[in-house]
Amino acid sequence: MDLPGPFAVGRYARTLREELRKRARVQLIGEITGLRHTQKQSYFELRDAEGAVPCTIWANELAALELPEGALRDGAEFVAVGGPDYFIGSAASSPAFSFRVTHLRLAGEGDLLARLEALRKQLRSEGLFELQKQLARPRLPRTIGVVTAERGAARRDLLAGLERRGWAGRVIWAFAPVQDRRAAPAIGAAIQDLAATPEVETIVVTRGGGSLADLWAFCDETLCRTVAMLRVPVISAVGHERDSTLIDDVAAVACSTPTHAAEAAVPLDCNAAREALGRDAVGLRRAAERAVGSRSRHLVSLARGPARALRRERGALNQKTREIRAASERGLAERRAFQRRLATVVLARAARRAAGAEADSSREALHRAAVALRAHEPERTLERGYALAEAPDGEPLTSAAAARAADEINLRFSDGRIRVREA
Amino acid sequence: MAESASEKPESYEAAVERLEQIIDRLDSGQAGLRETLELCREGRELVTYCSAELDAVSEGLEELKLDELAAKLERA
Repeated sequence: MDLPGPFAVGRYARTLREELRKRARVQLIGEITGLRHTQKQSYFELRDAEGAVPCTIWANELAALELPEGALRDGAEFVAVGGPDYFIGSAASSPAFSFRVTHLRLAGEGDLLARLEALRKQLRSEGLFELQKQLARPRLPRTIGVVTAERGAARRDLLAGLERRGWAGRVIWAFAPVQDRRAAPAIGAAIQDLAATPEVETIVVTRGGGSLADLWAFCDETLCRTVAMLRVPVISAVGHERDSTLIDDVAAVACSTPTHAAEAAVPLDCNAAREALGRDAVGLRRAAERAVGSRSRHLVSLARGPARALRRERGALNQKTREIRAASERGLAERRAFQRRLATVVLARAARRAAGAEADSSREALHRAAVALRAHEPERTLERGYALAEAPDGEPLTSAAAARAADEINLRFSDGRIRVREA
Repeated sequence: MAESASEKPESYEAAVERLEQIIDRLDSGQAGLRETLELCREGRELVTYCSAELDAVSEGLEELKLDELAAKLERA
């Protein structure tokens, strides 16, 4: 072993004490726990969420501080001034480390605010302020859990607020001490129990106003971390408007009074909702009636419509028929008149042509044609002494067979017919 | 009209939201007869649902203590 020593332990203990006493004197802030007094000294621990230091103060020094009666008690937030010390023990008592307190004062608003600010910064940086705010809050919960003091104005105010909302559902009370930091674990347990109750849809945490020290439990880091992680929305209404506790930051909604908390817990104004629902029901019925009514009226008018329309159409049709008939008669007459006019014009033209000098050559041609035509006429042949054999009906008989077949034969001369009988 | 009317609404707020949509649509006067009657039927169901929800918080405040509730559950 290359280490120094072995030293006599008593000497080492004294050296350790000297070393510790050389350390800087500081101020510590925390909660008093395990306070006990002996004739010569008072003992307590100064504690917060992260750790603790055992403290001692000489009885005479404590008395000289003239603290208010009852101020120094478990759960109270104090600032202790002093430094580390080491009691080396004696024949009758064990050695012990302690923070030797030379001055002690109740933590002031300023001290608490500074701590609160540090905590707030820490929790915000971890995103714990957002979790509850992302939860859906029911507009009309049937069951609300409430953490508050059993005897307190907050309870009464909350109930009054709920009544004003027209809400008369189920409230599950989880009563807990709400004063100073000792209350924090009990409040945390109550909130967790409510959150674990399936019917509970929303949790309200409320207490009346007080000093920041009074409300300090609601700034407890452990409590606030617990609330932040819950899946049931928590509505906080701790202290008055100007008071801002850490639970307000992590809660889904922070309200200034228990009455406001009632409104946040039941966002729906049930009285107004009942009226609105009644109106909606009436509106729906009217819409249905209107839709059916106006259409049925339309149907009725349509049903009446065809007869009227038919009458109208029939009248129009008759009129048209009359018009068409008149028009066609008129048309026929006109056409006849036109044809007559046309014939007149043609004849007039023919007459003009016949009379016109320019028509001489064609008249001559016509004359020649007439002469030629006449040369072929049977009359011309008969005039030269021929006769034409005809059946009684005037049909020419051009062969002996046809003549034999006929009952009788007529012979046509240029000057008349004679009947011929077979001998 | 993706939502089916015969399904129970998810929550009071969902029911009220749908009811408002229905009334807006009816007020617009653009719905045909079949749609109007369908909307009215769905609306009436929603009104019935909402009314039941309101009735559930109208029958008088019920106050329970968590400790007593827990004790009762333990006995059960």
